[in-house]
Amino acid sequence: MEARVVNKGQLPELLDKLAKDYDLIAPVQEETVVLFRKISGAADAFLEYTNSDVSPKGCFLPQNEKTFNYTYTGDSIEINKPEGAQKAVLFGARPCDIKAITTLDPVFEGEKFGDEYYSGKRENTVIIGLSCTKVLSTCFCYAFEGGPCDGTGSDLLFTEIGDKYYVEVNTEKGKALADAYSQIFSSQGAEQLAKDKEELAKKLAGEFVRKVDLTGVKELLDNNFELPYWNGDDQKKCLGCGTCTYVCPTCHCFDIFDYPTGDFTGARLRCWDSCMYPEYTLMAGGHNPRPTRKERVRNRFMHKLKYHLDRYNMVGCVGCGRCVRKCPVNIDITKIINDLKEVAQNA
Amino acid sequence: MPNNPTALTPYPVTITKIVDETSDVKTFTVEFDDPEVMENFGNKPGQVCMLSIFGEGESTISITSAPTRGKFLEFTVKRVGRLTNVMHQMEVGQKFGVRGPYGNWFPYEIMKGKDLFFVGGGFALAPIRSLIDYALSDQYRSDYGKVEVLYGARSVDDLCFKSDLAERWPKLHNTAIYTTIDRPEEAWKGHVGFVPSYVEEVAPSPENKFAIIAGPPIMIKFTLPVFAKLGFKDDQIITTLEMRMKCCLGKCGRCNIGSKFVCVDGPVFSLAQLKGMPQEY
Repeated sequence: MEARVVNKGQLPELLDKLAKDYDLIAPVQEETVVLFRKISGAADAFLEYTNSDVSPKGCFLPQNEKTFNYTYTGDSIEINKPEGAQKAVLFGARPCDIKAITTLDPVFEGEKFGDEYYSGKRENTVIIGLSCTKVLSTCFCYAFEGGPCDGTGSDLLFTEIGDKYYVEVNTEKGKALADAYSQIFSSQGAEQLAKDKEELAKKLAGEFVRKVDLTGVKELLDNNFELPYWNGDDQKKCLGCGTCTYVCPTCHCFDIFDYPTGDFTGARLRCWDSCMYPEYTLMAGGHNPRPTRKERVRNRFMHKLKYHLDRYNMVGCVGCGRCVRKCPVNIDITKIINDLKEVAQNA
Repeated sequence: MPNNPTALTPYPVTITKIVDETSDVKTFTVEFDDPEVMENFGNKPGQVCMLSIFGEGESTISITSAPTRGKFLEFTVKRVGRLTNVMHQMEVGQKFGVRGPYGNWFPYEIMKGKDLFFVGGGFALAPIRSLIDYALSDQYRSDYGKVEVLYGARSVDDLCFKSDLAERWPKLHNTAIYTTIDRPEEAWKGHVGFVPSYVEEVAPSPENKFAIIAGPPIMIKFTLPVFAKLGFKDDQIITTLEMRMKCCLGKCGRCNIGSKFVCVDGPVFSLAQLKGMPQEY
């Protein structure tokens, strides 16, 4: 694998250049919330974050997205799609969030049906990851084969070491970008930094507070849809606010609806939806296959721990810990995993 | 259309005919404005489409017509909400959007050489009507044995596809049509009673036969034990499910039963398959 070195002092120059040549999407701080936005230069970026409040999945599956404009008069239909995706760089995404994007790929780039909106952005975007330098108390990426310095899914992975970034070149797309800015991406000193990165990864691996053990959990869920466990306290205390699904980097559910703008025109939009809402599965005739929070909570955790694996052979959770941090009633997927492991052991 | 990246874009269709089935059910016959779309559509009995009613959004509706009947599609739509309400106000000549076809289809290849016993309740004759007409088409009639249709509705006014039941299907070779309404009515000379008990009365033999059932959950619940009692095996009983859907492409998430999406892995399931899935539908 190729590697490069970027001086930290040159990062503003790199970001300014990227913002000029691409749509540059990077972490920004708005009031107290860290999220990803298109920025116009290094001055807008906020890199002193552990992880963003909102994941960068919106780069590829925006919270609201117009799929087309229509003009409909009753006896004529005209459909106009928005312009295709611009060349973009996603800078500063954490390894867990990048891994999450790889779990969305098989959903949107399906065998039978693709998705021009997702794929257009995906193909035109270079993902530059940024290794973690700290581990939060809610982090558990290691449980899902991830790690604070794991480059899976990134085109380039930056790891901060002293006054330098060690840059792993993971794809041809990444290499092309590094080569295009060769005055910033040098090769000098990469070997030593590679060793330093290994050290950092080892050090961070020892800093996880949360012990999460998935042993036996999938097998338990494979054979038991109706577990008494799902009648427990966690299901009862869920408020159905949907926060977990919005902050989750692997949640991909969406709604499609029309937004009429008058004079026979309108837009068809898709926006994030949440399986925690009763309307999500409510049919026009009144029947609801998941009528109470019990079924909805079960479905969410079954999706993360079983369904996504069954369907795509990929984990449905990357251990970013956002749902643990943001849940207003402290429903904690790591507790649920450990509880289920216990149920499996006692079965 | 394999790996179609533009799958979310509907094609314009024009309404060529509207039949009032009941006071709140209409059948719309539509043709694609671009005839090439129909040529390549390749819909199979049991599949569904997403209908675009611009300004209201989209809804999943089964294709009621068999592909053997011509270069058009029929959708039978009950007025239950905003979108279907707007649709019910539409007139011949007006347009809406269609994308599809989606989902799997009735196993008509496996059904070759067999008798087919259809059971429909309410307006849920719509999703199985495509297979009835496919099996009764000139082209494929010889592939199938006797075709029986047992259909029930609450009242005479609630019976859909009256001309199919009373005129078109009974006249065709080797068919039997049984129609019932829930409660007696003065002008009604036919059978009175619920679907499950009528099935018991007609007592189809399970030999060399498939039962294809569609109807409201309560009807299905009481009809399945009747077929079991008659000796039908779980893989001889085929049904089609309904779920809320938004994309119909296996992406928007909501129509899952366990790891399966009804929109791409269904809507057609055998009872044997359903018994291996979570009871969450």
